[in-house]
Amino acid sequence: MGTMVAMSEDRRAEGQPDQSPWDMASGAFTAWRAGDASAVDELVAAMTPVLWHVVRAYGHDRQSAEDVIQATWLGFVRRHETIDDPQAVASWLITSARRGAAAHARTARRTSPVQDEVLHAVLPDADSAEQVAVLDDEASRLWRAVASVDERCRRLLRVVAFLDRPDYRSLSRDLDMPVGSIGPTRARCLAKVRTALAEAGGR
Amino acid sequence: MTDPDAALLDELRDMWAAHDPPPVGLAATMVAAVATADLDHEWEMLVLVRDSVDQPAAPVRGLASARMLLFTAAEGWSLDAELDDGQVRGQLLDFDGDMGSVEVTLETPAGATWTTRLDEVGFFAIRGQPTGLFRFTVRHAGTVASSRWVEA
Repeated sequence: MGTMVAMSEDRRAEGQPDQSPWDMASGAFTAWRAGDASAVDELVAAMTPVLWHVVRAYGHDRQSAEDVIQATWLGFVRRHETIDDPQAVASWLITSARRGAAAHARTARRTSPVQDEVLHAVLPDADSAEQVAVLDDEASRLWRAVASVDERCRRLLRVVAFLDRPDYRSLSRDLDMPVGSIGPTRARCLAKVRTALAEAGGR
Repeated sequence: MTDPDAALLDELRDMWAAHDPPPVGLAATMVAAVATADLDHEWEMLVLVRDSVDQPAAPVRGLASARMLLFTAAEGWSLDAELDDGQVRGQLLDFDGDMGSVEVTLETPAGATWTTRLDEVGFFAIRGQPTGLFRFTVRHAGTVASSRWVEA
């Protein structure tokens, strides 16, 4: 009995891992609006990791990604009153972060249209070979497979992987794909990853 | 989405989460940024310091049906409000500026608003009583202070 009590206390202390960040976000947002000033901290803590992956999907370096995420939160502070439905807060934040990331990418291209930028955009956005080498075999195969697919696929998959309910209309605008093609495109992108895994002898 | 697709997408999410995690301290930095933005922003908060629904019924005759709220602003003044019988009456206390320039607004999340000005000693009265959530906003000399939403 004692163990069970301790376990349930641990789960609370870890921020209820059973609850998705999107559910935590809407709960915290509702509490914040109802007057619980500290609930906004919970909202920021729950959604910042999700926003990180969404912004990094656009190939930004770590510093730029942090800047885009901070701008997203400052925009949220200014405009949160426009969010009518607390359930929509996560998707509002993700959409805002995606737009910030896309705008930042356009600015970066305008300011330094050099060959390095082009290369950066088509290369996997993250780790060096040394870092990949320390991943275990399976993770490393998956990482290489994802790195081998085209940039649009990689971006779409990473954004979709961290979405709760994909908002295809705004996603299609940001990724420059017709709304109707996102579902099939996602399936094709996943198929490409699977093929790359098979070619590497993974599965 | 087919099950194998969902499973692969889950694996990809775990991979990104494990191998390109947010920097340590990023969430704390953002929490601080939001807290500071609240202060930097022209919107100052009216902090609710007393709500009579959280307290025993007032012993004073005539206030039995009224709800009393007291907010303070960082600038030092406070807003006292009494909700009773379809009317909100109140007073701005310890306010140094020009009382005539102050506007008090009662708002609901749906966008309904009631706005009024203060008399020369800081009293105001608004006909209309919100149901559900509401808040007070006080405007003067280009600054705006809003309370958090309060349940009626």
